[in-house]
Amino acid sequence: MSAILELRGVHKSFRGADGNLIEVIRVKQFALGTGEQTALVGQSGSGKSTLLNLIAGILLPDEGEILVNSTNPTQLSEAARDRFRAANIGYVFQSFNLLQGFTALENVLLGQMFGGGNGGTDRAVQLLNNVGLGHRLHHKPRALSVGEQQRVAIARALVNAPTLVLADEPTGSLDSKNGTAVLELLRRVCTEGKHTLLLVTHDPHVMERFEKVVRLEDLQ
Amino acid sequence: MNLVKIVIKNMRQRALATWLTGASVMLGVALAVAILLIKLGVQQRFEQGTLGYEMVVGAKGSPLQLVLNVVYNLDISLGNISWKLFEQLRNDKRIKLAVPFSVGDNYKGFRIVGTTDAFFKDFEFEPGRKPELAAGRIFNFSEDALKSAFQEAAERAREREAKERGEEVKPAPEPAPVEHPFEAVVGSTVAEQTSLAVGQKFIAAHGVQPSAEAKEHTENPWTVVGILKPTHTAVDRAIYINLDSFYHIEGHELRGPTAPEKSEEKDNDPDPGQVSSIVLKLRSPITAFGLYREINDREDAMAAFPAAEIRKLFDIVGNIDRLLLAQAILILIVAGVAIAVSIYNSMSERRREIAILRALGARRATIFSIVLLEAVTICLFGAAAGLVGGHLVVGLANGALYKASGFVIPAFHIQPLEWYILAVAVILGAVAGLGPAVGAYRTDVAKNLAPTS
Ligand SMILES: Nc1ncnc2c1ncn2[C@@H]1O[C@H](COP(=O)(O)OP(=O)(O)OP(=O)(O)O)[C@@H](O)[C@H]1O
Ligand SMILES: [Mg+2]
Repeated sequence: MSAILELRGVHKSFRGADGNLIEVIRVKQFALGTGEQTALVGQSGSGKSTLLNLIAGILLPDEGEILVNSTNPTQLSEAARDRFRAANIGYVFQSFNLLQGFTALENVLLGQMFGGGNGGTDRAVQLLNNVGLGHRLHHKPRALSVGEQQRVAIARALVNAPTLVLADEPTGSLDSKNGTAVLELLRRVCTEGKHTLLLVTHDPHVMERFEKVVRLEDLQ
Repeated sequence: MNLVKIVIKNMRQRALATWLTGASVMLGVALAVAILLIKLGVQQRFEQGTLGYEMVVGAKGSPLQLVLNVVYNLDISLGNISWKLFEQLRNDKRIKLAVPFSVGDNYKGFRIVGTTDAFFKDFEFEPGRKPELAAGRIFNFSEDALKSAFQEAAERAREREAKERGEEVKPAPEPAPVEHPFEAVVGSTVAEQTSLAVGQKFIAAHGVQPSAEAKEHTENPWTVVGILKPTHTAVDRAIYINLDSFYHIEGHELRGPTAPEKSEEKDNDPDPGQVSSIVLKLRSPITAFGLYREINDREDAMAAFPAAEIRKLFDIVGNIDRLLLAQAILILIVAGVAIAVSIYNSMSERRREIAILRALGARRATIFSIVLLEAVTICLFGAAAGLVGGHLVVGLANGALYKASGFVIPAFHIQPLEWYILAVAVILGAVAGLGPAVGAYRTDVAKNLAPTS
């Protein structure tokens, strides 16, 4: 099993309000294999979102190496890093994932646009069908339930067939029934597409469903 | 999905702000276009108006006033010049045509102009275009009748002066009866607005413009014998009467420094009569300046080139429309500020969406372009609407304008300056959008992805 994601000696600090540096991330070693599905857990404020942003190349580490698909995005130019992210990483947030002025389909097409536009509208429609929203293609986010909005976000995250899907508490704003449904959907489509999934949560019911659960503090 | 689609969706999402800011750009541009068109129209009209009037001659005074008087039937007359000068010019070999005019009365505000039949037979108000009749005929004119009218007017003047000196007044000898003495040919606008028709009679009021104290010449009504076709010049707004009838009217005495009773004392060849002005058509333009000098060397007359006077006038007017244009530009600047402010105000809502786009792989430069393009698009469409709107408004106003002023503005003439306006609008949009676009460019992605923001 080859590693899709590898972190070695990654450090990240932020300057706090008092001007002192606060180390938020200290990861000795962390790796994910192809198709693996992992839950990342930790206390609030422990740096889970920061770690996902580091992996996505949205934040840069102060130290250490991050390899996604054997590429170190840190060493790319910013524009190349953006292109790399669009092509290789799908990202789902806790809420308000969608652009309000765009329909479900258009939101998915947006993801496709930045990733090079492969597959065309057909692939976007097929993905929305797969997440059960074939009848909601032309609805704006306002006309969709929160659960439906999360499904659109999942379809969008997968549209460029990324090797790695990052999900930051994707069920955090859903009730348990909807949350479970969305989570199972996410896991199913990742399995089908052989996408590696790294999912952040602090919900025990969510953790239960993962064979592999990693505590952030254990990575130090 | 592409950049333009994203920009349009963003604009539609904030439709009210988009419409309002776009409308303010439109307003500024429409105003600029209207100003340019009106200026163009007025200038064209005035310059074209001078085409048939190579040189005008009148009493000494302001050459511009003389031109306005003769060519455009505007402003008051400078006074009179002698009929002898007219005859002299008419017989001058260098001069192809001389037409005299006498003014002093109006009918419902339309100027009444005494002239000869040469005005209809030989005069071209624009090269190749003579006044044409739409109905009826031109008035009868004979120089004998004019001579006797001059005598009558001189007689009246003598009587009045005698009365003023307190002398006893001998009753004047009955004037010889004249045939068709009070006939009028009416310009098209006059006919349209006063409903004067062939066969109708009307009574003139004294003064070239209507006024409260103006008394009417009740005793002598004119009969309309002809109506002119529209010429789109000042001719449309005047009533032409036979020159002799003008001098049959009480109050139209011969006056000024060349009045017969005064010149008689030093001149044994008395001036038979007077006119207000003369329009000249020359045989060759080469002689124009010499003739101009000759006439201006006289003590009792002045010559002017209408085209040159109008050009001078527009050099002055040019400053005024630059001022109006500056105002339009000010409106555009305010519109630009409004666009910048409106995008700035929406930035807090946009930050989240910008962060999402970045997380999807949009580059900073793309985000920058989206915001900049939005401002430019609003300006471009606002300006385009303003261009169309400006032309349309002027076009719609043309009817009323023609009624009020007698000229038509070329409302749908596209001036090269308009392409500059579009270019300026694009630059304005770029400047207005630059600040917000830089803000968008700098958006902190990680911070704005956090659910609390
Ligand atoms: N840009 C930043 N500047 C300064 N401090 C930051 C910045 N981003 C995050 N932090 C701090 O880093 C710490 C980790 O934040 P992060 O959002 O990664 O935590 P988290 O584990 O995702 O928490 P939660 O479970 O509440 O989402 C927090 O204390 C936060 O205040
Ligand atoms: Mg978090």
